[in-house]
Amino acid sequence: MSSVISAKGLTKRYGKRTAVDGIDFDIPAGRIVGLIGPNGSGKTTTLKAALGLIPFEGALSVLGFDPRTQRDDLMQDVCFIADVAILPRWLRVKDAIDFVASVHPRFNREKAERYIAATSLKPSMKVKEMSKGMIVQLHLALVMAIDARLLVLDEPTLGLDIIYRKQFYQNLLEDYFDEHKTIVITTHQVEEVEHILTDLMFIREGRIVLAASMEEIGERYIEVMVSHDKVSAANALQPIDRRTVFGKSVMLFDAAAHGVSRQQLAALGETRNPSVADLFVATMKGSYA
Amino acid sequence: MNTVTMKWLLRREFWEYKGSMFWAPLAVAALLVVSIGATVVYGLSMHHIPTHVTVNGQTIDGYTVGITLEAKSRIAQVASSVYLAASLPLFGLLTAVVFSYCLGALHDERRDRSILFWKSLPVSDGMTVLSKAVTAMLVAPLITIVLGTCASLLLLLIGCVALAANGINVLGPVLGSPDLYLSPLCLLALLPVYVVWALPAVGWLLLVSSWARAKPLVWAVGAPLVGLLLVKWISVAAANVSGEPLGLMPYAQDVVARLLGGIVPGIWFTFHDGLPHALRPGPDGADVGSLVSGSYATLAHADAWLWALAGAAMLYGAMRLRRFRDEG
Repeated sequence: MSSVISAKGLTKRYGKRTAVDGIDFDIPAGRIVGLIGPNGSGKTTTLKAALGLIPFEGALSVLGFDPRTQRDDLMQDVCFIADVAILPRWLRVKDAIDFVASVHPRFNREKAERYIAATSLKPSMKVKEMSKGMIVQLHLALVMAIDARLLVLDEPTLGLDIIYRKQFYQNLLEDYFDEHKTIVITTHQVEEVEHILTDLMFIREGRIVLAASMEEIGERYIEVMVSHDKVSAANALQPIDRRTVFGKSVMLFDAAAHGVSRQQLAALGETRNPSVADLFVATMKGSYA
Repeated sequence: MNTVTMKWLLRREFWEYKGSMFWAPLAVAALLVVSIGATVVYGLSMHHIPTHVTVNGQTIDGYTVGITLEAKSRIAQVASSVYLAASLPLFGLLTAVVFSYCLGALHDERRDRSILFWKSLPVSDGMTVLSKAVTAMLVAPLITIVLGTCASLLLLLIGCVALAANGINVLGPVLGSPDLYLSPLCLLALLPVYVVWALPAVGWLLLVSSWARAKPLVWAVGAPLVGLLLVKWISVAAANVSGEPLGLMPYAQDVVARLLGGIVPGIWFTFHDGLPHALRPGPDGADVGSLVSGSYATLAHADAWLWALAGAAMLYGAMRLRRFRDEG
């Protein structure tokens, strides 16, 4: 089995509105994929379909299972955070650990307890006594201790302060991830995840507008700090985005689309790889209009 | 089916509803013991030995001077066969607890979105819904039976001690009466009958609980009542047109009674011949055995099983809804 998630013509309609519009994609094992898109672009719907939470049209295979009919088998190997801070108010920390430890064959209790020891959570604490950040910490500790083959994280760090967010992604990379696992993340804080991603998928209005590995993106997209005298020459090469930083023009080029070479661009000024956030803004232009 | 998972799902339900399933009946049981116990002790100590003793509506004549052996054994017989009646308020509470539990069981997790956490674990929707039905039909009644038996035994003991303090020692005969030990077992033996009769109501309430976007109580009670009104209206209209009543009303009332009343313990006696004659307390107390045989006799009617099947179908519907409902 080569791909962990494989979609063909995946479509989801809510009444007349098409949330996901016949998308195709493949996610191989051992990747960390960032699924990035504006609000309402269909990224959460796509993930819900993959997790068997909603009915859909088209073909979708997750770890070889059809999420519509084989969800119970699928959930043995998949874990997800669909939304943070949704633990029930009456749940105690120690009961939560006992419960997950008993129903999940891939749960590692020591690991969960280690994560929780690093927070201010106490075993006898109930969720209703916790701050939002603490609830997220408990949820992440439970999920990170599950040795799932596919982990889906939909906005996992919402409501966490920056120190814990950094710590979480650090743990995810060092402690959790290995070549047999696959992680799919959606988040608004792209800059926090871009250094751990291996692949990017931009989704807009229910369609995938960009799907590539980070290496491919590094080769394809080039940002140039254009010198004053070369602005018109640069404009002629059809940059996909331009902005001005400290009076200097910064232009983004798609080497694949317009046949511009790196050497050509180097002649215009200093070149570098764009950040995912800048690439996202350039790709999504018009989405917020 | 995984028994370990089921055990933890039941435990999960108990954590969530500990207040209504355990603490509330415990508090009521304690209140019963204290209030009835105090009344008995106070009554006996103030007014000394009465000329007759009334236990749960059974009157035994005695003598103020030197109570006869026969009267003593009758007091013991009545006391040991009907002492569990003291726990009746607990079974009333059980009805209310099971009703509100079923309405909340599949609705609350959707309201606070914690369903997304539960569904991220390898626990099937079928197991989850089953665990909730088992909690409603077995766990909650079992807790009530245990607490009710303990409270009743305590009261019986208080009564015996109070009587003994007044010179009538019935503790020996009471302890020697087989009914004392058989009664709690009879309650336990009724549990399967309860399951069969409660299934349609539990199925209906859980179905509404997993279907309603808001206010499951209004839907669960309102929908059958509106249906009942409609049938009434059609019957009246038909009677006006043809002059013949349609005779639908009894059926409609039967449906509503089963959907909403099925969780009331003992409701099964109301659907057919009523309370068996032997059950109506006679001068020798109640015949506890006939309560059990009379209850099982109601299962000889096909409707009990057809409705239980309908209840199971509604549970299946609740499971499918939980499986595919998009919680946004």
